[in-house]
Amino acid sequence: MKSSFREGAAGLLLVLPPLFLLVFVILVPAGQAVLDTLRVVRDGHVVYSLARYQELLHTISLRRSVGFTVSVTLVSAAATFVLAYALALYLRFSTGWISTLLGALFIIPLFIPTVIASFAMITFLEHHGYVASLLQHVGIQETPSLVFNAVGIVLTEVWASIPFATLVLLAGLQGIDDSLIDSARDVGAGALRTFRSVILPLNRVATVITMSLLFIGILGSFTIPYLVGGNAPQMMSVVMTNYFTNYLRPDISVALAALSFGIAAVAGGAYVIGVSRREREVV
Amino acid sequence: MSAVGEAVRERTAGLFWFWSIGAFRRVLPVLFLVALAAFILGPLLSLILWAFAGQWFYPGLLPQEFSTKWWTVVFGNRSVVSSIKYSLMTAPTVTALSALICLPAAYAFARFRFPGRRLLLLSFLSANSFPKIGLYITIATLFYRLNLMTTFWGVVLIQLVGTLLFMIWIPTGTFRGINRSLEEAARDVGASGLRTFFQITLPIALPGLLVAGLFAFLAAFDEAQGTLIVGSPNYITMPVMMYTLVLNYPQPVGAVFSILLTLPSLVLLLLAQRLLRQGYLAAGYTL
Amino acid sequence: MSRQFPGLRWIVPVVIAAFVMSISLVGAPAQGQVTGVTLYISGDTNIQEMFDKDLLPMFERDTGVKAKMVFLEHGQGAQAILDKIIAAKRAGRQTDVDLYETQPTFIAQGASEGIWLKITKDNMANAAKVDPQRPEVLVSSGFGIPYRGSSVVLAYNAKHVKQPPKTYDALLDWIKKNPGKFTYCDPQTCGSGQAFLYLALYKFAKAEDYSTLSFDASRETAWEPAFQLLRSLKPAIYNNGFYPNGNVAVLQLLGRETIWMAPVWSDQGMSYLDQKLLPPDIKLIQISPPFTGGDSAIAIPVHAEHQAGGLMFLNWLLTSKAQTVVVNKLAGYPGIEWKYMPKDVRDKFAAIATNFSPLPNARYQADAKRLWQEKVAGSGQ
Repeated sequence: MKSSFREGAAGLLLVLPPLFLLVFVILVPAGQAVLDTLRVVRDGHVVYSLARYQELLHTISLRRSVGFTVSVTLVSAAATFVLAYALALYLRFSTGWISTLLGALFIIPLFIPTVIASFAMITFLEHHGYVASLLQHVGIQETPSLVFNAVGIVLTEVWASIPFATLVLLAGLQGIDDSLIDSARDVGAGALRTFRSVILPLNRVATVITMSLLFIGILGSFTIPYLVGGNAPQMMSVVMTNYFTNYLRPDISVALAALSFGIAAVAGGAYVIGVSRREREVV
Repeated sequence: MSAVGEAVRERTAGLFWFWSIGAFRRVLPVLFLVALAAFILGPLLSLILWAFAGQWFYPGLLPQEFSTKWWTVVFGNRSVVSSIKYSLMTAPTVTALSALICLPAAYAFARFRFPGRRLLLLSFLSANSFPKIGLYITIATLFYRLNLMTTFWGVVLIQLVGTLLFMIWIPTGTFRGINRSLEEAARDVGASGLRTFFQITLPIALPGLLVAGLFAFLAAFDEAQGTLIVGSPNYITMPVMMYTLVLNYPQPVGAVFSILLTLPSLVLLLLAQRLLRQGYLAAGYTL
Repeated sequence: MSRQFPGLRWIVPVVIAAFVMSISLVGAPAQGQVTGVTLYISGDTNIQEMFDKDLLPMFERDTGVKAKMVFLEHGQGAQAILDKIIAAKRAGRQTDVDLYETQPTFIAQGASEGIWLKITKDNMANAAKVDPQRPEVLVSSGFGIPYRGSSVVLAYNAKHVKQPPKTYDALLDWIKKNPGKFTYCDPQTCGSGQAFLYLALYKFAKAEDYSTLSFDASRETAWEPAFQLLRSLKPAIYNNGFYPNGNVAVLQLLGRETIWMAPVWSDQGMSYLDQKLLPPDIKLIQISPPFTGGDSAIAIPVHAEHQAGGLMFLNWLLTSKAQTVVVNKLAGYPGIEWKYMPKDVRDKFAAIATNFSPLPNARYQADAKRLWQEKVAGSGQ
């Protein structure tokens, strides 16, 4: 048996190289940047204050952007979740050609870079784009643009997130023993009831992981809202870029970044709690 | 919980239990398939048509005129060809290097107990969730001091940051899923630690590690902003060019380039499809 | 978890082969052996083509110096390179950016970091031919040198519009009377949309107050009625207030005849007409007061690796020979004053060499764009 001290030292040593990279390239610059947002010059002295964050929350367009970002993120995550769950259920419990085709289909977006996904969505959904042309042929005139607004962002985010969500949920479902489902059916439970009282609770960890990581991923995405989003309100990631490059206010930009990281941290917290509770149950 | 006092239903065989809702049973999955195919493939199909469109005005369902002239435009541009080369150089190198530094760490996260293990593991999530826009000046200053700017290894390093999460989390889950008793048995018959790792643990873990490698590759292949700052003028990769092309060129040029940029990943898709559904991804995200 | 699956057997060799191949390629690209001069150019396609096909080969023929170009899109890319130049200065290193062609506002952003070389006739002879009062020079805090000029003009579809507006006020009237048929691009993303915004500001405040180097935030209160005016236009804008991203997006809307009128850059409009990406019914005119002009300038970092090369290229670019190419290609006006241009060029382009309104300086531009976002696009209604 190794001594626990030696094991701990070896563990830390092995973890060090990637950690080193993370600390120097992300954590230190980020810490520095956030610290800078708290520094304000008052009467020639540098003092620490939340003035920038107050300014941020008092600007109506920024407040709306925060609200918009959170709602678009929640709607996209929820829509992805529902769609992915349906897919995962079908893939888990059905065999046959439909299942095979679905299985080949849902994975495709994972391999399409997001720039291209956004670009493809634009050609597909824009005013006078492909969908509009199709609808025109069945007699529906002048379909409004489905991109450059919240609808476009949600659709593209869902498109891009389906593979990840489905894979995680499917793995969770595969972990559920067939015998548990069979016994539920033996006592006469219907499909919906089996789903509600057996599958859903047993697949809770996968649910928590999917929801929280979808939320974090969509919240932080830049390319999709930048290319597919509208003029206003905009997602925080786009607003940050505007404040940095167009408005000469890098301080507000970093303050927004910190706020966005804070919101992501809440989802991260939910994730940690959800996952650890399962560890306690298992141990 | 309690017994359900309902009349006996028609029971469908085996595992089709959840689909026993009357006549829709057959039609609904087909509808679902068609709708999902339209949603996922539709945008890609319209992209392919644009790449071959000589002239395409609303509301034509197909271009009024097909042409391959945009392909010659794209391939006639020397920088496009070299960007393809650089992308195919950096992404595999990043993936390999990432595996080299992250897999030992992942093994430690899975097998060793040390202080702050959970927190450290979680901290890698920040690499992908802190917006980097305000950080690039600081990062570039650091890279200048280390003489990494405009070099191949600088590009590799900046792309490496985005792969850490996948290369650590997924393998950690994979290693944890391997039964310790196998390793212990090998040790009992006198195999050394390293030998046990390479002969027992690694082969079992390989599919999971390949999944991690796949995600790392895609993350590296997709990175644009950091690559532009660190790599220009020597290493302009495909995604870096893509931003310019999408925003500044006529639609067909962007479409042609999109198809080119997608091809390498599609090869991976064909290779990896079965691998992805083995649950290694999910295992990595259970901390 | 150790299920067997058939794909594995051949994935491993493929991955290994790909990796080995990539490693063997690493030796191939030149690292740091940039000979000559490296130019960073940003803008739209027509600019890229002009450099790639005309200017760079000519320069290499004339001087024997090899020039390498990195082409960037305006927003994201231009900022990234600025970040890089600043970082090099902070680290005390040279930068590979020998010459940076970008929007004057980006040049102004780096001015406070002291990253730009002050270009005068002492270090570059042809600087004497440039009018120091040009908007490109003023907006870039004196560090940018103009090498091409174009202004924003009004594009309209003559098939649908028989009598185009001649003044800004008439244009505003037309927009209200023809809802959904006009738009301007989001000023964050393009100069033609900015021009429309600045004319609205100048309707209520004197242009000259904002175009000099001095900045006084209190002067911005005079803009309030302009933002109200633009907000009131919103229901009459295409798609109920949609402002596209970038100059190209507006041209595409004009090309598909979804809109009938929009401000566009004169050079881009001409080049799209030439390439038949716009229907021939699209006409370009200037209104009164004229739209603003000048969206590009060149600056040279103080810590450029091949600074002499950068200055040499810029000096060459301002010769009447190179300027003639620029004017012909872009149908714009030269960076140097007209009197230094050959007579035939002067005569040919006399008609479009109309005046343009001055741009606000970089600080005012930043605030105008932010306030537009806050008060017009982001106002809710």
